[in-house]
Amino acid sequence: MSSFSLPNRWNLPDLGLGVGLRTQHFRHITERWPAMDWFEILSENFIETEGRPLYFLDQIAERYPIVMHGVSLSVGSTDPVDFEFLDKLAALAKRVKAVWLGDHICWTGVAGLNGHDLYPVPYTEEGLRHMVSRVRTIQDYLERPLVLENPSTYLTFASSSMPEEEFIARLAVEADCALLLDVNNVYVTCRNHDLDPVAYLDAIPYEHVVQVHLAGHTDNGTHCIDTHDGRVIDEVWKLYARVHEKTGGRATLLEWDANVPKFPVLQQEVGKAARFRDAARLARPVAA
Amino acid sequence: MSLLEAARLDTIERWMQAVVMHPDGAARGIGSKAARRLLPQAAAKLESVVLPSKSLSSLERLDIYAYMYYARLLEILNAEYPTTRLILGDETFRRACRRFVQRNPSTHRTLNRLSDKFPDFLSRHLPPGNRRGLAVDVARIERAMEDVFDAPRAEPLTAAQFAAIGTDQWHRVRLRVIPALRLLRLRFPANDYMNAARSGGKPRVPRPRATFAIVYRRGFQVYRRDQAPAQFKLLAALAAGRTLADAVRSGISGGGGSSDKLATRLGAWFREWSAAGLFCGTTGGKP
Repeated sequence: MSSFSLPNRWNLPDLGLGVGLRTQHFRHITERWPAMDWFEILSENFIETEGRPLYFLDQIAERYPIVMHGVSLSVGSTDPVDFEFLDKLAALAKRVKAVWLGDHICWTGVAGLNGHDLYPVPYTEEGLRHMVSRVRTIQDYLERPLVLENPSTYLTFASSSMPEEEFIARLAVEADCALLLDVNNVYVTCRNHDLDPVAYLDAIPYEHVVQVHLAGHTDNGTHCIDTHDGRVIDEVWKLYARVHEKTGGRATLLEWDANVPKFPVLQQEVGKAARFRDAARLARPVAA
Repeated sequence: MSLLEAARLDTIERWMQAVVMHPDGAARGIGSKAARRLLPQAAAKLESVVLPSKSLSSLERLDIYAYMYYARLLEILNAEYPTTRLILGDETFRRACRRFVQRNPSTHRTLNRLSDKFPDFLSRHLPPGNRRGLAVDVARIERAMEDVFDAPRAEPLTAAQFAAIGTDQWHRVRLRVIPALRLLRLRFPANDYMNAARSGGKPRVPRPRATFAIVYRRGFQVYRRDQAPAQFKLLAALAAGRTLADAVRSGISGGGGSSDKLATRLGAWFREWSAAGLFCGTTGGKP
Protein backbone atom coordinates (compact mmCIF):
# COMPACT_ATOMS: atom_id res chain seq x y z
CA MET A 1 0.00 0.00 0.00
CA SER A 2 1.21 3.48 -0.80
CA SER A 3 1.51 6.00 2.03
CA PHE A 4 0.89 8.84 -0.39
CA SER A 5 -1.89 11.15 0.73
CA LEU A 6 -3.06 14.34 -0.94
CA PRO A 7 -4.68 16.63 1.63
CA ASN A 8 -7.91 18.37 0.73
CA ARG A 9 -8.26 22.13 0.94
CA TRP A 10 -10.20 22.04 4.20
CA ASN A 11 -8.39 19.21 5.95
CA LEU A 12 -11.71 17.38 6.15
CA PRO A 13 -11.12 13.87 7.44
CA ASP A 14 -10.96 10.66 5.47
CA LEU A 15 -13.91 9.02 7.21
CA GLY A 16 -13.13 5.58 5.82
CA LEU A 17 -15.86 3.39 4.34
CA GLY A 18 -19.55 4.17 4.72
CA VAL A 19 -22.97 3.42 3.30
CA GLY A 20 -26.12 5.42 2.71
CA LEU A 21 -28.47 5.18 5.70
CA ARG A 22 -31.77 3.66 4.56
CA THR A 23 -34.97 3.01 6.50
CA GLN A 24 -34.78 -0.74 5.84
CA HIS A 25 -31.68 -0.93 8.03
CA PHE A 26 -32.73 1.27 10.97
CA ARG A 27 -33.55 -1.65 13.24
CA HIS A 28 -30.53 -3.72 12.25
CA ILE A 29 -28.20 -0.81 12.95
CA THR A 30 -29.72 0.26 16.27
CA GLU A 31 -29.96 -3.30 17.57
CA ARG A 32 -26.55 -4.56 16.46
CA TRP A 33 -24.43 -1.42 15.98
CA PRO A 34 -22.59 -3.07 13.09
CA ALA A 35 -19.07 -2.24 11.98
CA MET A 36 -19.27 0.77 9.68
CA ASP A 37 -17.05 3.85 9.62
CA TRP A 38 -19.77 6.38 8.85
CA PHE A 39 -23.20 6.95 7.32
CA GLU A 40 -24.48 9.36 4.72
CA ILE A 41 -28.08 10.54 4.97
CA LEU A 42 -30.36 11.94 2.31
CA SER A 43 -30.98 15.33 3.92
CA GLU A 44 -34.53 15.76 2.64
CA ASN A 45 -35.66 12.53 4.34
CA PHE A 46 -34.99 14.05 7.75
CA ILE A 47 -36.25 17.61 7.48
CA GLU A 48 -39.90 18.57 7.84
CA THR A 49 -40.43 15.43 9.90
CA GLU A 50 -40.23 14.54 13.56
CA GLY A 51 -41.29 10.95 13.15
CA ARG A 52 -39.59 7.58 13.16
CA PRO A 53 -36.70 8.40 10.77
CA LEU A 54 -35.44 11.20 12.99
CA TYR A 55 -35.83 9.03 16.08
CA PHE A 56 -33.46 6.45 14.60
CA LEU A 57 -31.11 9.03 13.13
CA ASP A 58 -30.64 10.66 16.53
CA GLN A 59 -29.46 7.34 17.97
CA ILE A 60 -27.23 6.52 15.01
CA ALA A 61 -25.66 9.99 15.03
CA GLU A 62 -24.58 9.38 18.63
CA ARG A 63 -22.33 6.52 17.52
CA TYR A 64 -21.28 7.12 13.91
CA PRO A 65 -20.10 10.16 11.96
CA ILE A 66 -22.90 11.50 9.72
CA VAL A 67 -22.57 13.26 6.37
CA MET A 68 -25.56 15.07 4.83
CA HIS A 69 -26.14 14.69 1.12
CA GLY A 70 -29.13 16.37 -0.49
CA VAL A 71 -31.03 16.36 -3.75
CA SER A 72 -33.05 19.61 -3.63
CA LEU A 73 -30.59 22.44 -3.14
CA SER A 74 -30.79 23.16 -6.86
CA VAL A 75 -27.57 25.16 -7.05
CA GLY A 76 -27.92 25.54 -10.81
CA SER A 77 -31.47 26.91 -10.74
CA THR A 78 -32.21 30.49 -11.74
CA ASP A 79 -34.82 30.73 -8.97
CA PRO A 80 -33.81 32.75 -5.90
CA VAL A 81 -31.79 30.89 -3.25
CA ASP A 82 -34.17 29.35 -0.71
CA PHE A 83 -32.72 30.57 2.58
CA GLU A 84 -35.53 28.98 4.58
CA PHE A 85 -34.44 25.61 3.22
CA LEU A 86 -30.82 26.42 4.09
CA ASP A 87 -31.93 27.13 7.66
CA LYS A 88 -33.53 23.68 7.82
CA LEU A 89 -30.36 22.05 6.48
CA ALA A 90 -28.25 23.97 8.97
CA ALA A 91 -30.51 22.92 11.86
CA LEU A 92 -30.29 19.27 10.86
CA ALA A 93 -26.51 19.55 10.40
CA LYS A 94 -26.22 20.92 13.92
CA ARG A 95 -28.50 18.22 15.33
CA VAL A 96 -26.56 15.29 13.85
CA LYS A 97 -23.16 17.03 14.01
CA ALA A 98 -22.77 16.53 10.27
CA VAL A 99 -19.12 16.29 9.29
CA TRP A 100 -20.05 18.02 6.03
CA LEU A 101 -23.07 18.62 3.85
CA GLY A 102 -23.61 18.80 0.17
CA ASP A 103 -25.75 18.23 -2.88
CA HIS A 104 -25.33 17.94 -6.65
CA ILE A 105 -24.06 20.07 -9.53
CA CYS A 106 -27.44 20.42 -11.15
CA TRP A 107 -30.79 22.13 -10.94
CA THR A 108 -33.99 20.41 -9.82
CA GLY A 109 -36.66 22.93 -10.77
CA VAL A 110 -37.41 26.49 -11.74
CA ALA A 111 -40.32 28.90 -11.45
CA GLY A 112 -41.12 27.54 -8.01
CA LEU A 113 -41.53 23.92 -9.12
CA ASN A 114 -39.47 20.88 -8.18
CA GLY A 115 -39.00 17.98 -10.57
CA HIS A 116 -37.18 15.95 -7.89
CA ASP A 117 -34.55 14.98 -10.43
CA LEU A 118 -31.00 16.11 -11.12
CA TYR A 119 -31.16 18.16 -14.32
CA PRO A 120 -27.96 19.18 -16.10
CA VAL A 121 -27.04 22.79 -16.77
CA PRO A 122 -25.53 23.94 -20.05
CA TYR A 123 -21.76 23.92 -19.53
CA THR A 124 -21.24 27.52 -20.60
CA GLU A 125 -19.34 30.50 -19.20
CA GLU A 126 -22.59 32.09 -18.11
CA GLY A 127 -23.80 28.87 -16.52
CA LEU A 128 -20.53 28.60 -14.66
CA ARG A 129 -20.65 32.19 -13.40
CA HIS A 130 -24.22 31.68 -12.28
CA MET A 131 -23.40 28.53 -10.34
CA VAL A 132 -20.19 29.94 -8.84
CA SER A 133 -22.16 32.90 -7.54
CA ARG A 134 -24.90 30.67 -6.08
CA VAL A 135 -22.46 28.29 -4.43
CA ARG A 136 -20.56 31.18 -2.85
CA THR A 137 -23.80 32.66 -1.53
CA ILE A 138 -24.86 29.35 -0.03
CA GLN A 139 -21.45 28.68 1.49
CA ASP A 140 -21.32 32.15 3.00
CA TYR A 141 -24.76 31.65 4.51
CA LEU A 142 -24.03 28.18 5.88
CA GLU A 143 -20.49 29.20 6.88
CA ARG A 144 -19.06 25.92 5.64
CA PRO A 145 -17.92 24.48 2.32
CA LEU A 146 -20.52 22.78 0.18
CA VAL A 147 -19.60 19.31 -1.04
CA LEU A 148 -21.01 19.04 -4.56
CA GLU A 149 -21.37 15.87 -6.59
CA ASN A 150 -21.06 15.30 -10.31
CA PRO A 151 -24.46 13.91 -11.36
CA SER A 152 -25.19 11.23 -13.93
CA THR A 153 -26.38 13.05 -17.02
CA TYR A 154 -28.36 11.82 -20.00
CA LEU A 155 -28.22 14.76 -22.40
CA THR A 156 -25.85 17.47 -23.61
CA PHE A 157 -26.97 20.99 -24.43
CA ALA A 158 -25.81 22.23 -27.81
CA SER A 159 -24.82 25.51 -26.20
CA SER A 160 -22.26 23.85 -23.90
CA SER A 161 -18.84 25.30 -24.61
CA MET A 162 -16.74 23.10 -22.32
CA PRO A 163 -16.73 19.47 -21.21
CA GLU A 164 -18.44 18.56 -17.96
CA GLU A 165 -15.18 17.81 -16.15
CA GLU A 166 -13.79 21.23 -17.01
CA PHE A 167 -16.99 22.88 -15.80
CA ILE A 168 -16.76 20.97 -12.52
CA ALA A 169 -13.07 21.69 -12.06
CA ARG A 170 -13.55 25.40 -12.63
CA LEU A 171 -16.62 25.48 -10.39
CA ALA A 172 -14.65 23.88 -7.56
CA VAL A 173 -11.75 26.30 -7.90
CA GLU A 174 -13.70 29.49 -8.60
CA ALA A 175 -16.41 28.90 -5.96
CA ASP A 176 -13.86 27.29 -3.63
CA CYS A 177 -16.25 24.44 -2.93
CA ALA A 178 -15.53 20.81 -2.16
CA LEU A 179 -16.29 17.94 -4.50
CA LEU A 180 -17.92 14.58 -4.03
CA LEU A 181 -16.61 12.53 -6.91
CA ASP A 182 -19.14 9.85 -7.84
CA VAL A 183 -17.12 7.42 -9.91
CA ASN A 184 -20.23 5.50 -10.95
CA ASN A 185 -21.68 8.77 -12.26
CA VAL A 186 -18.43 9.39 -14.13
CA TYR A 187 -18.81 6.00 -15.78
CA VAL A 188 -22.53 6.49 -16.57
CA THR A 189 -22.04 10.01 -17.91
CA CYS A 190 -19.08 9.01 -20.05
CA ARG A 191 -21.01 6.07 -21.48
CA ASN A 192 -23.98 8.33 -22.24
CA HIS A 193 -21.86 11.02 -23.87
CA ASP A 194 -19.22 8.83 -25.55
CA LEU A 195 -16.45 10.28 -23.36
CA ASP A 196 -13.27 8.83 -21.87
CA PRO A 197 -13.76 8.34 -18.10
CA VAL A 198 -10.02 8.33 -17.46
CA ALA A 199 -9.61 11.71 -19.15
CA TYR A 200 -12.58 12.91 -17.09
CA LEU A 201 -10.95 11.80 -13.84
CA ASP A 202 -7.60 13.30 -14.81
CA ALA A 203 -9.22 16.75 -15.13
CA ILE A 204 -10.54 16.79 -11.55
CA PRO A 205 -8.76 19.02 -8.98
CA TYR A 206 -8.24 16.39 -6.27
CA GLU A 207 -7.33 18.85 -3.54
CA HIS A 208 -11.05 19.78 -3.68
CA VAL A 209 -12.30 16.18 -3.50
CA VAL A 210 -13.33 15.13 0.02
CA GLN A 211 -15.61 12.19 -0.72
CA VAL A 212 -16.15 9.45 -3.27
CA HIS A 213 -19.38 7.65 -4.18
CA LEU A 214 -19.70 4.10 -5.46
CA ALA A 215 -22.92 2.57 -6.78
CA GLY A 216 -24.44 0.20 -9.26
CA HIS A 217 -26.29 1.25 -12.40
CA THR A 218 -28.49 -0.19 -15.15
CA ASP A 219 -26.92 -0.65 -18.56
CA ASN A 220 -29.59 -0.43 -21.25
CA GLY A 221 -27.12 -0.95 -24.07
CA THR A 222 -27.83 2.38 -25.74
CA HIS A 223 -27.36 4.25 -22.47
CA CYS A 224 -26.85 3.75 -18.74
CA ILE A 225 -29.17 4.88 -15.93
CA ASP A 226 -27.89 5.64 -12.44
CA THR A 227 -30.27 3.32 -10.57
CA HIS A 228 -28.27 2.45 -7.43
CA ASP A 229 -29.80 -0.99 -7.52
CA GLY A 230 -26.91 -3.40 -7.51
CA ARG A 231 -23.24 -4.10 -7.06
CA VAL A 232 -20.44 -1.90 -8.33
CA ILE A 233 -19.16 -3.14 -11.69
CA ASP A 234 -15.47 -3.85 -12.33
CA GLU A 235 -15.00 -0.86 -14.64
CA VAL A 236 -16.16 1.44 -11.83
CA TRP A 237 -13.80 -0.23 -9.36
CA LYS A 238 -10.97 0.50 -11.81
CA LEU A 239 -11.98 4.17 -11.83
CA TYR A 240 -12.08 4.11 -8.03
CA ALA A 241 -8.57 2.70 -7.97
CA ARG A 242 -7.42 5.58 -10.15
CA VAL A 243 -9.01 8.12 -7.79
CA HIS A 244 -7.29 6.43 -4.89
CA GLU A 245 -3.95 6.67 -6.66
CA LYS A 246 -4.48 10.39 -7.07
CA THR A 247 -5.64 11.10 -3.53
CA GLY A 248 -4.21 8.42 -1.30
CA GLY A 249 -7.64 7.92 0.20
CA ARG A 250 -10.92 9.74 0.50
CA ALA A 251 -14.07 9.06 2.52
CA THR A 252 -15.82 6.44 0.40
CA LEU A 253 -19.52 5.67 0.36
CA LEU A 254 -21.62 2.97 -1.27
CA GLU A 255 -25.12 3.99 -2.44
CA TRP A 256 -27.75 1.27 -2.82
CA ASP A 257 -31.30 2.66 -3.03
CA ALA A 258 -33.40 0.18 -5.03
CA ASN A 259 -33.72 -3.55 -4.41
CA VAL A 260 -32.00 -2.74 -1.13
CA PRO A 261 -30.28 -5.85 0.26
CA LYS A 262 -29.70 -6.83 3.87
CA PHE A 263 -27.13 -4.74 5.69
CA PRO A 264 -24.33 -7.36 5.62
CA VAL A 265 -24.42 -7.29 1.82
CA LEU A 266 -23.74 -3.55 1.93
CA GLN A 267 -20.89 -4.11 4.38
CA GLN A 268 -19.41 -6.71 2.09
CA GLU A 269 -19.74 -4.56 -1.03
CA VAL A 270 -18.29 -1.36 0.41
CA GLY A 271 -15.63 -3.49 2.11
CA LYS A 272 -14.26 -4.29 -1.34
CA ALA A 273 -12.93 -0.74 -1.39
CA ALA A 274 -10.60 -1.68 1.44
CA ARG A 275 -8.29 -3.47 -1.01
CA PHE A 276 -7.47 -0.04 -2.46
CA ARG A 277 -6.98 1.56 0.92
CA ASP A 278 -4.61 1.39 3.84
CA ALA A 279 -7.43 0.80 6.32
CA ALA A 280 -8.20 -2.84 5.73
CA ARG A 281 -11.43 -3.21 7.68
CA LEU A 282 -14.49 -1.32 8.80
CA ALA A 283 -14.37 0.23 12.22
CA ARG A 284 -16.68 -0.40 15.14
CA PRO A 285 -18.89 2.51 16.23
CA VAL A 286 -17.88 4.62 19.18
CA ALA A 287 -19.51 3.79 22.49
CA ALA A 288 -22.71 5.76 23.13
CA MET B 1 -23.68 38.12 -15.63
CA SER B 2 -25.64 40.31 -18.02
CA LEU B 3 -29.41 40.22 -18.07
CA LEU B 4 -29.27 38.65 -21.52
CA GLU B 5 -27.02 35.83 -20.29
CA ALA B 6 -29.22 35.24 -17.24
CA ALA B 7 -32.21 35.03 -19.50
CA ARG B 8 -30.50 32.40 -21.60
CA LEU B 9 -29.92 30.03 -18.71
CA ASP B 10 -33.34 30.72 -17.26
CA THR B 11 -34.96 30.13 -20.64
CA ILE B 12 -33.23 26.80 -21.12
CA GLU B 13 -34.23 25.64 -17.65
CA ARG B 14 -37.85 26.70 -18.10
CA TRP B 15 -37.93 25.07 -21.51
CA MET B 16 -36.52 21.77 -20.28
CA GLN B 17 -38.90 21.77 -17.34
CA ALA B 18 -41.88 22.40 -19.63
CA VAL B 19 -40.74 19.52 -21.85
CA VAL B 20 -39.97 16.87 -19.22
CA MET B 21 -43.04 17.66 -17.10
CA HIS B 22 -45.42 17.47 -20.04
CA PRO B 23 -47.98 14.73 -19.30
CA ASP B 24 -47.85 13.28 -22.82
CA GLY B 25 -44.07 12.90 -23.04
CA ALA B 26 -41.17 14.95 -24.31
CA ALA B 27 -42.24 15.03 -27.98
CA ARG B 28 -45.56 16.67 -27.11
CA GLY B 29 -43.75 18.84 -24.61
CA ILE B 30 -41.40 20.23 -27.25
CA GLY B 31 -44.39 21.14 -29.39
CA SER B 32 -46.36 22.62 -26.50
CA LYS B 33 -47.25 26.28 -26.48
CA ALA B 34 -45.18 26.90 -23.33
CA ALA B 35 -42.04 25.29 -24.77
CA ARG B 36 -42.40 26.90 -28.21
CA ARG B 37 -42.77 30.32 -26.61
CA LEU B 38 -39.47 29.81 -24.76
CA LEU B 39 -37.36 28.13 -27.46
CA PRO B 40 -39.15 28.10 -30.80
CA GLN B 41 -36.01 26.78 -32.54
CA ALA B 42 -36.24 23.55 -30.53
CA ALA B 43 -39.58 22.67 -32.10
CA ALA B 44 -38.12 23.22 -35.57
CA LYS B 45 -34.74 21.57 -34.94
CA LEU B 46 -34.32 19.91 -31.55
CA GLU B 47 -30.64 19.18 -32.24
CA SER B 48 -29.97 22.92 -32.06
CA VAL B 49 -30.76 22.75 -28.32
CA VAL B 50 -30.02 19.14 -27.27
CA LEU B 51 -27.30 17.12 -28.99
CA PRO B 52 -27.88 13.49 -29.96
CA SER B 53 -25.44 10.83 -28.77
CA LYS B 54 -24.06 8.00 -30.88
CA SER B 55 -26.94 5.76 -29.86
CA LEU B 56 -29.81 8.06 -28.83
CA SER B 57 -31.56 10.89 -30.62
CA SER B 58 -32.05 14.26 -28.94
CA LEU B 59 -35.67 13.38 -28.27
CA GLU B 60 -34.80 10.00 -26.74
CA ARG B 61 -32.37 11.71 -24.40
CA LEU B 62 -35.01 14.18 -23.22
CA ASP B 63 -37.49 11.34 -22.87
CA ILE B 64 -35.28 9.74 -20.21
CA TYR B 65 -35.93 12.74 -17.95
CA ALA B 66 -39.60 12.94 -18.95
CA TYR B 67 -40.13 9.28 -18.08
CA MET B 68 -38.30 9.53 -14.78
CA TYR B 69 -40.29 12.60 -13.70
CA TYR B 70 -43.63 10.78 -13.73
CA ALA B 71 -42.19 7.42 -12.70
CA ARG B 72 -40.64 8.87 -9.56
CA LEU B 73 -43.73 10.79 -8.44
CA LEU B 74 -46.11 7.94 -9.24
CA GLU B 75 -43.92 5.63 -7.19
CA ILE B 76 -44.42 7.96 -4.22
CA LEU B 77 -48.22 7.99 -4.68
CA ASN B 78 -48.26 4.20 -5.07
CA ALA B 79 -46.46 3.84 -1.76
CA GLU B 80 -48.69 6.33 0.06
CA TYR B 81 -52.10 5.13 -1.22
CA PRO B 82 -52.05 1.31 -1.44
CA THR B 83 -55.71 0.81 -0.45
CA THR B 84 -56.96 3.65 -2.62
CA ARG B 85 -55.20 1.91 -5.52
CA LEU B 86 -56.85 -1.38 -4.59
CA ILE B 87 -60.30 0.24 -4.72
CA LEU B 88 -59.76 2.04 -8.02
CA GLY B 89 -57.74 -0.65 -9.78
CA ASP B 90 -54.21 -0.16 -11.09
CA GLU B 91 -55.08 1.55 -14.37
CA THR B 92 -57.64 4.05 -13.01
CA PHE B 93 -55.32 4.84 -10.12
CA ARG B 94 -52.34 5.37 -12.45
CA ARG B 95 -54.34 7.70 -14.69
CA ALA B 96 -55.60 9.66 -11.69
CA CYS B 97 -52.06 9.99 -10.35
CA ARG B 98 -50.70 11.27 -13.66
CA ARG B 99 -53.46 13.87 -13.92
CA PHE B 100 -52.93 14.85 -10.30
CA VAL B 101 -49.18 15.33 -10.74
CA GLN B 102 -49.80 17.23 -13.96
CA ARG B 103 -52.15 19.66 -12.23
CA ASN B 104 -50.36 19.74 -8.89
CA PRO B 105 -46.62 19.69 -9.59
CA SER B 106 -44.38 19.60 -6.55
CA THR B 107 -43.44 22.98 -5.12
CA HIS B 108 -41.61 21.61 -2.08
CA ARG B 109 -38.02 20.60 -1.48
CA THR B 110 -39.16 17.31 0.04
CA LEU B 111 -41.76 14.87 -1.23
CA ASN B 112 -43.64 14.78 2.09
CA ARG B 113 -46.32 17.18 0.92
CA LEU B 114 -46.62 16.05 -2.69
CA SER B 115 -50.03 14.46 -2.23
CA ASP B 116 -51.63 16.90 0.23
CA LYS B 117 -54.42 17.63 -2.25
CA PHE B 118 -54.80 14.11 -3.65
CA PRO B 119 -58.00 13.13 -1.74
CA ASP B 120 -59.71 16.37 -2.81
CA PHE B 121 -58.51 15.82 -6.37
CA LEU B 122 -60.07 12.35 -6.42
CA SER B 123 -63.36 13.71 -5.12
CA ARG B 124 -63.49 16.20 -8.00
CA HIS B 125 -62.21 14.05 -10.84
CA LEU B 126 -63.45 10.49 -10.37
CA PRO B 127 -66.86 9.50 -11.72
CA PRO B 128 -69.56 9.72 -9.01
CA GLY B 129 -70.65 6.59 -7.16
CA ASN B 130 -69.87 4.49 -4.15
CA ARG B 131 -66.45 3.51 -5.47
CA ARG B 132 -65.42 7.16 -5.63
CA GLY B 133 -66.89 7.85 -2.18
CA LEU B 134 -64.99 4.99 -0.60
CA ALA B 135 -61.78 5.81 -2.47
CA VAL B 136 -61.89 9.42 -1.30
CA ASP B 137 -62.48 8.42 2.32
CA VAL B 138 -59.69 5.84 2.25
CA ALA B 139 -57.39 8.37 0.56
CA ARG B 140 -58.15 10.84 3.38
CA ILE B 141 -57.11 8.25 5.94
CA GLU B 142 -53.98 7.32 4.01
CA ARG B 143 -53.05 11.00 3.65
CA ALA B 144 -53.66 11.54 7.38
CA MET B 145 -51.34 8.62 8.12
CA GLU B 146 -48.59 10.40 6.16
CA ASP B 147 -49.30 13.65 8.01
CA VAL B 148 -49.11 12.19 11.49
CA PHE B 149 -46.03 10.14 10.59
CA ASP B 150 -44.13 13.42 10.12
CA ALA B 151 -45.96 15.59 12.69
CA PRO B 152 -44.02 17.24 15.52
CA ARG B 153 -43.43 15.23 18.67
CA ALA B 154 -45.20 16.08 21.90
CA GLU B 155 -45.00 14.43 25.30
CA PRO B 156 -48.46 13.06 26.16
CA LEU B 157 -50.15 13.83 29.46
CA THR B 158 -49.58 11.07 31.99
CA ALA B 159 -52.51 9.32 33.67
CA ALA B 160 -51.59 11.09 36.90
CA GLN B 161 -51.59 14.50 35.22
CA PHE B 162 -54.92 13.67 33.67
CA ALA B 163 -56.43 12.51 36.94
CA ALA B 164 -55.26 15.69 38.65
CA ILE B 165 -57.74 17.80 36.65
CA GLY B 166 -60.59 18.12 39.12
CA THR B 167 -64.19 18.49 37.95
CA ASP B 168 -64.20 21.92 39.59
CA GLN B 169 -61.73 23.04 36.88
CA TRP B 170 -63.66 21.72 33.90
CA HIS B 171 -65.32 25.05 33.14
CA ARG B 172 -61.96 26.70 32.48
CA VAL B 173 -59.50 23.93 31.54
CA ARG B 174 -58.74 23.24 27.89
CA LEU B 175 -56.88 20.13 26.76
CA ARG B 176 -54.23 20.44 24.07
CA VAL B 177 -54.29 17.61 21.56
CA ILE B 178 -51.03 16.27 20.14
CA PRO B 179 -49.94 17.59 16.71
CA ALA B 180 -49.97 14.00 15.41
CA LEU B 181 -53.76 13.62 15.55
CA ARG B 182 -56.27 13.93 12.69
CA LEU B 183 -60.05 13.68 13.02
CA LEU B 184 -61.96 12.56 9.95
CA ARG B 185 -65.72 12.56 9.33
CA LEU B 186 -66.26 9.95 6.64
CA ARG B 187 -69.18 8.89 4.46
CA PHE B 188 -68.13 5.24 4.28
CA PRO B 189 -66.79 2.61 6.71
CA ALA B 190 -63.35 3.24 5.31
CA ASN B 191 -61.42 1.98 8.32
CA ASP B 192 -63.27 -1.35 8.22
CA TYR B 193 -62.52 -1.61 4.52
CA MET B 194 -58.81 -0.95 5.12
CA ASN B 195 -58.73 -3.62 7.81
CA ALA B 196 -60.38 -6.12 5.49
CA ALA B 197 -58.02 -5.20 2.65
CA ARG B 198 -55.03 -5.65 4.90
CA SER B 199 -56.25 -9.17 5.67
CA GLY B 200 -55.88 -10.00 1.98
CA GLY B 201 -58.14 -10.11 -1.05
CA LYS B 202 -60.26 -7.31 -2.41
CA PRO B 203 -63.32 -6.59 -0.26
CA ARG B 204 -66.56 -5.46 -1.91
CA VAL B 205 -67.29 -1.75 -1.97
CA PRO B 206 -69.60 -1.20 1.02
CA ARG B 207 -72.75 0.92 1.06
CA PRO B 208 -72.43 4.45 2.46
CA ARG B 209 -72.46 4.69 6.25
CA ALA B 210 -71.19 7.66 8.22
CA THR B 211 -68.12 6.84 10.29
CA PHE B 212 -65.83 8.92 12.48
CA ALA B 213 -62.17 8.07 12.42
CA ILE B 214 -59.09 9.28 14.23
CA VAL B 215 -55.56 8.83 12.95
CA TYR B 216 -52.70 9.42 15.38
CA ARG B 217 -49.13 8.58 16.21
CA ARG B 218 -48.20 7.04 19.54
CA GLY B 219 -44.44 6.95 19.93
CA PHE B 220 -43.38 6.27 16.35
CA GLN B 221 -46.25 4.00 15.40
CA VAL B 222 -49.23 5.30 13.39
CA TYR B 223 -52.73 4.11 14.36
CA ARG B 224 -56.24 4.61 12.96
CA ARG B 225 -59.51 3.73 14.63
CA ASP B 226 -63.19 4.59 14.54
CA GLN B 227 -64.96 6.55 17.25
CA ALA B 228 -68.59 6.56 18.35
CA PRO B 229 -70.37 9.67 17.00
CA ALA B 230 -70.71 11.37 20.41
CA GLN B 231 -67.15 10.41 21.30
CA PHE B 232 -65.87 11.97 18.07
CA LYS B 233 -67.94 15.11 18.67
CA LEU B 234 -66.46 15.53 22.12
CA LEU B 235 -62.90 14.98 20.89
CA ALA B 236 -63.46 17.42 18.01
CA ALA B 237 -64.69 20.04 20.49
CA LEU B 238 -61.61 19.52 22.66
CA ALA B 239 -59.35 19.73 19.62
CA ALA B 240 -61.07 22.99 18.67
CA GLY B 241 -59.99 24.45 22.01
CA ARG B 242 -63.26 24.39 23.92
CA THR B 243 -63.18 23.97 27.71
CA LEU B 244 -63.73 20.49 29.10
CA ALA B 245 -67.20 21.48 30.34
CA ASP B 246 -68.24 22.97 26.98
CA ALA B 247 -66.83 20.03 25.06
CA VAL B 248 -68.59 17.48 27.24
CA ARG B 249 -71.88 19.35 26.82
CA SER B 250 -71.44 19.34 23.04
CA GLY B 251 -70.54 15.68 23.00
CA ILE B 252 -73.48 14.45 25.03
CA SER B 253 -76.22 16.83 23.96
CA GLY B 254 -79.27 14.84 22.99
CA GLY B 255 -77.58 11.60 24.01
CA GLY B 256 -80.03 10.86 26.81
CA GLY B 257 -79.32 8.23 29.46
CA SER B 258 -78.71 8.43 33.17
CA SER B 259 -75.92 10.50 34.66
CA ASP B 260 -74.26 7.29 35.89
CA LYS B 261 -74.19 5.86 32.38
CA LEU B 262 -72.93 9.16 31.08
CA ALA B 263 -70.12 9.25 33.61
CA THR B 264 -69.19 5.68 32.70
CA ARG B 265 -69.06 6.53 29.00
CA LEU B 266 -67.01 9.65 29.57
CA GLY B 267 -64.63 7.77 31.81
CA ALA B 268 -64.12 5.06 29.19
CA TRP B 269 -63.54 7.59 26.42
CA PHE B 270 -61.00 9.62 28.36
CA ARG B 271 -59.19 6.46 29.43
CA GLU B 272 -59.02 5.37 25.80
CA TRP B 273 -57.70 8.75 24.66
CA SER B 274 -55.27 8.98 27.53
CA ALA B 275 -53.90 5.52 26.76
CA ALA B 276 -53.54 6.58 23.13
CA GLY B 277 -51.63 9.66 24.26
CA LEU B 278 -53.88 12.11 22.42
CA PHE B 279 -53.43 15.01 24.87
CA CYS B 280 -50.18 16.79 25.52
CA GLY B 281 -51.08 19.61 27.90
CA THR B 282 -53.68 21.85 29.41
CA THR B 283 -54.37 25.54 29.52
CA GLY B 284 -56.53 27.50 31.92
CA GLY B 285 -56.08 25.18 34.91
CA LYS B 286 -54.50 25.83 38.26
CA PRO B 287 -50.90 26.99 38.02
